[in-house]
Amino acid sequence: MNVENLERALAEIGLHGIVEVRGSLAVLRMDVDAGLADDELRFLAVDAAERNGFTHLALEVVDDAGRAALHRD
Amino acid sequence: MTDLRETSATSLAEQKERALIAWLRDRGSVLLGFSGGVDSAYLACLATEALGPDRVLAVIGRSASYPEEQWRTARDVAARFGLTVAEIDTDEMTDPRYVANPSNRCYFCKTELWSKLAPLARDRGLETIIDGTNADDIGGHRPGMQAAREQGVRSPLVEVGMTKRDVRERSRARGLPTWSQPSAPCLSSRLQYGLSVTAERLREVERAERALRDLGIGGDLRVRHHGDLARVELSPEMLSLWLSPIPLRMITAAIRAAGFARVAIDLRGFRSGSLNLLTEVTAA
Repeated sequence: MNVENLERALAEIGLHGIVEVRGSLAVLRMDVDAGLADDELRFLAVDAAERNGFTHLALEVVDDAGRAALHRD
Repeated sequence: MTDLRETSATSLAEQKERALIAWLRDRGSVLLGFSGGVDSAYLACLATEALGPDRVLAVIGRSASYPEEQWRTARDVAARFGLTVAEIDTDEMTDPRYVANPSNRCYFCKTELWSKLAPLARDRGLETIIDGTNADDIGGHRPGMQAAREQGVRSPLVEVGMTKRDVRERSRARGLPTWSQPSAPCLSSRLQYGLSVTAERLREVERAERALRDLGIGGDLRVRHHGDLARVELSPEMLSLWLSPIPLRMITAAIRAAGFARVAIDLRGFRSGSLNLLTEVTAA
């Protein structure tokens, strides 16, 4: 599993967030409307996760309380 | 063309049902593990019709992992279709091997259940113990089935080749309210392997799933418990409706109110046995 590659692949399709790894589950943490109601975008995101070795990709929308933790140095 | 295919499928399901009735009559009397789910509700009603209520005992095993809503469905079906029902308490929550939540957790739960039902069947003079496993359930990671086999439990739906689709079709034809009910395995199946099974975690899952139903989410639905994180699996057709910003906030608020600190929506949606994939469990 390669989290850096996954984050890069997701960013390339417009999903800019932090990926938290929990075993083979990748949790994509974002602070904006991700647009993932769109079937095509969702398919691309899941495909990117699987190509990088993850069995699951889940979206967590972070509110004000968790927002500060999203920005890596 | 579509009508012909449906007619053919229905006819095949009817043939299997006739074989099932013959199978039940050959047994003479049965004790059934009865959860109120699609399969066991159908089997309980058919067995009662085939053998009569005095020769069929449908037993509900109650514990913290058995959803309250499922119990109400079971009692409702029993009342409407004249089933003879008994309830027993099962004690898997006191078994540390079960509480530790290994990938074969179901083995310990089912061993507890069937080991209590076997003497009950003997006491009541019921010849065969049966369960509602259907032909689609064969294969995959099913340690609970191993426990059933060890206790001599038979699975008549498997033996006559009835699939979930067949069971739903015949349930609908017979007017069973369970025909369109989503599959509802025990609440412990929502906990990530290795996360200990506690009554509080089971209640969190139950509250969260009920809250999502109350929002109007239909179809298959699971709240997977990953400790501080709830991972929500919705049916694929629901994902595009509920991943828009406002519905997503509604889901998040509902799950947090149920006791979870964090909420994530699985982007692939509902998958049966999803947690088996996560920990790379393979068929035994």
